[in-house]
Amino acid sequence: MKDQAAIRFQGARVVYPNGAVGLARVDLDIQPGEFVVVVGSSGAGKSTLLRSVNGLTPLTAGSITVGGQPVPKKEGAELRRLRAGVGMIFQDFRITRRLSVMTNVLVGRVAHVPGWRAMLNLWPAGDREIAFRALERVGIADKAWVRAGDLSGGQQQRVGIARALAQEPAIILADEPVASLDPVTTHQIMRDLVRINQELGITTVVNLHFLDLARRYGQRIIGLKDGELVYDGSADSVTQEDFKNIYGRDPDAGDMLDESAAS
Amino acid sequence: MSHLRDESEEHDTAAPRPLRPARNWALILGAAAAVILMTWWSARGIGFSLVELACNLPGGRRLLVESWPPDWGFFPRLLAPLLETLQIAVIGTVIGGLLAIPIAVLAARNLTPGVLVWFVDRNFMNVLRTLPDLFWAMLFAAAVGFGPIAGALALTVFTVAVISKLWSESLEAIDMAVPEAVRAAGGSWLAMLQFGAIPQALPHYVSYTLYAFELNVRASMILGLVGAGGIGMVLETQRSTFEYPRVTLIVLSVLVLVLIIEQISESIRRRLT
Repeated sequence: MKDQAAIRFQGARVVYPNGAVGLARVDLDIQPGEFVVVVGSSGAGKSTLLRSVNGLTPLTAGSITVGGQPVPKKEGAELRRLRAGVGMIFQDFRITRRLSVMTNVLVGRVAHVPGWRAMLNLWPAGDREIAFRALERVGIADKAWVRAGDLSGGQQQRVGIARALAQEPAIILADEPVASLDPVTTHQIMRDLVRINQELGITTVVNLHFLDLARRYGQRIIGLKDGELVYDGSADSVTQEDFKNIYGRDPDAGDMLDESAAS
Repeated sequence: MSHLRDESEEHDTAAPRPLRPARNWALILGAAAAVILMTWWSARGIGFSLVELACNLPGGRRLLVESWPPDWGFFPRLLAPLLETLQIAVIGTVIGGLLAIPIAVLAARNLTPGVLVWFVDRNFMNVLRTLPDLFWAMLFAAAVGFGPIAGALALTVFTVAVISKLWSESLEAIDMAVPEAVRAAGGSWLAMLQFGAIPQALPHYVSYTLYAFELNVRASMILGLVGAGGIGMVLETQRSTFEYPRVTLIVLSVLVLVLIIEQISESIRRRLT
């Protein structure tokens, strides 16, 4: 297991039905426990990269393996089993606002309990415990029985993170997790993600728009441009020139969270 | 003052304003003529004439005079049938409302598990909706005999038809982002429905079910005419024996019952968010 990549892209290619190329041809290994930040301008294929890992977007060609297992190309029990071990966090939170925080987090357990138990809301005590621990880890256990829609944006994203944690995943995919949050909350959420990565050793791949965030929180930075991998290196050694290469232009204040927030 | 002048100067340099387009008089007059012609043709066809209507007004007035005042003494004998009407409506709404859930889900394009299921279900819904509630009442009266059971069954079908159509459209309008998140967590189709899709459209479901209940209370009056139980059966017997004061009382009672139910369901609907 030691030498097995957490996620391995081999010639991964995604072409959408409208002809747009999501991923041109990506070869990439992500090691267990890594904290990887993916940057690139919008349309560069960041979301496609993440969504192909759990099969939300199927590959047109090539392959992806997760923990050595190939990602199935079709919906079904096999793909559900793979998804059970991969948590996902979204820019727009994607929690059910009308349901309680607890129910939203228990959604992270649906693939681990018999269908009839989820259906009747008869969750095993062990799964409720996992859900509560996930809420404690993001610091909103006191909100467990509140309606999710009544929380603030930052708290709603924490529900999203807790739901992913409740899956007890080997991998967390975060698709622009802070893009709809204010600067202060942004840093809190980013710190949460880093802390979870360090404490639990969950392999984490985060799409980010802001370059300063990428440099500050990432261990390894991957640059995408027009669906192609154009940068792959440590966050410490990434230069202004590299960013220019990834974005096809000089980065400006709009690409920095703290500077665009200040102006 | 100076900025006023600036404005007028701007007008001079602005692009010419578009002219108001000419009205299409041929279309307007043609449409008006078509409506008048159709009305005239229909009135002739059914022998509708304002003159005759005016001449027959005294007859209508005689009926109204005969119907007033309502026969209040008849009221105690209305209580049981009114209650039966309510019970028919409750059974029809509850069973129909439950059956409508899977039928609506399978007919929603974004949730259905397959095109074939969707197609069959859609057409099934269309058939239910095309046939009137009176038809179902007669059908079930013939099948299970005259009485409230036939009425309840007819209203069950009617409720399914109403709710499944309206609610499947609400389901098609939901945000599919959350259902996708449930799938991303490894959730099955049922989990996706339960935790991602249905909660979004739940207020609509409650609202449509209340609406169906109102329709059912009203409809159970008509259903009585074909022997499907409830207050409608009393109405039919009193009308056929020309007991007009009693007919007035029946109509008033149903009116009050419907108004009360509408008020209650309206206040519930207001609280839905």
